[in-house]
Amino acid sequence: MKKILVVDDHADIRRLIRMTLEFEDYEVHEAADGESALRMARELRPDLLLLDVMMPGALDGLKVCAAIRADAELSHVHVMLLSARGQARDREAGMQAGAHAYLVKPFSPLQLIDRIAAQWVTA
Amino acid sequence: MQTELSSAALAVEGNRFDDAASEQMECIIADLGRMYRERNEALREVERAHHDALLRLSLAADFRDDDTGVHIMRIAFLAEALALRLGEPARFARMLRKAAPMHDIGKIGVPDDVLKKPGGYTVAERAVMNQHPEMGAKILGKSRIPLFQLAAEVAMTHHERWDGGGYPKGLSGAEIPLSGRIVAVVDFFDALTMDRCYRKAFDDEVALQMLLEQRGVAFDPRVVDVFVEHLAEMVAIRDRINQQRPSFESLVDPT
Repeated sequence: MKKILVVDDHADIRRLIRMTLEFEDYEVHEAADGESALRMARELRPDLLLLDVMMPGALDGLKVCAAIRADAELSHVHVMLLSARGQARDREAGMQAGAHAYLVKPFSPLQLIDRIAAQWVTA
Repeated sequence: MQTELSSAALAVEGNRFDDAASEQMECIIADLGRMYRERNEALREVERAHHDALLRLSLAADFRDDDTGVHIMRIAFLAEALALRLGEPARFARMLRKAAPMHDIGKIGVPDDVLKKPGGYTVAERAVMNQHPEMGAKILGKSRIPLFQLAAEVAMTHHERWDGGGYPKGLSGAEIPLSGRIVAVVDFFDALTMDRCYRKAFDDEVALQMLLEQRGVAFDPRVVDVFVEHLAEMVAIRDRINQQRPSFESLVDPT
């Protein structure tokens, strides 16, 4: 079963994302901020990180993404950014940080699940 | 204004929705999840029904071609095994198992006096016979479902030859889709080693020699090499299917 780590500081959003991911057979873990996201990513070795961009604390989503990309041990981890900001330069910043995909909030549950499924095919 | 009010009501301090809104959203997501699963199940059911109908048509074509329907079952499992031995992904091999038995579906459109003619064909009869790949691809149609796209590809290309001398398009080498190259090899070997109304089955050794003679001529040399390398396994699969006669459902099932 594929492992997905959901990172968002908003507990209800995490819960909605978790419920959406559970349409399919995924093992879902949650982290509430950048630091614990990075720690859990190293412990759990998830297949995919669903990562909120704007989070309080020292590490926002972009920094977490860049740290994951810089870690050779985590090179297999796919990163999908979820952000309230949908400007072209925001997407670009996400891609610069090494994300595989960039989704804009509010997220469409079906789009999320389809994008994730499509990703396993190309992975 | 109303929207602003309700979104303000949702965005309660401390990163929480209010409880009622949160519960309501969870209900909606749960319903969505149920509908998602029901939709996927319905799509699978449509695909299974479609597959079943087309397999039955393939069976009808095989019956006309003076066989019992076991040939297309053997082609299914031999093509799957050979694809795996060629290092193709399990997903592709499984789909080929389901698609390969439909390769001769177009023979349903070939008149009896041609299909059942003993001995050689005239030029005109050959031309009629050689239409069966295109008729097959037409019957299988331009589906959006990957399985039927693959089946149409196999039907269309299983008589192409590595050297370019096949039909209908005269494709050569890697221009021929791998699916067609695989089915061409297993179909050739299997057809030789079964009894026909006009001859007895060839021994495996004789069929093997005939296959090797066509290595790099009619058939992709790598596909022939891998088939020959795993000949014992292929023969075992053939014998198992002859004994067990696996059901149609074993092709249709969603695994």
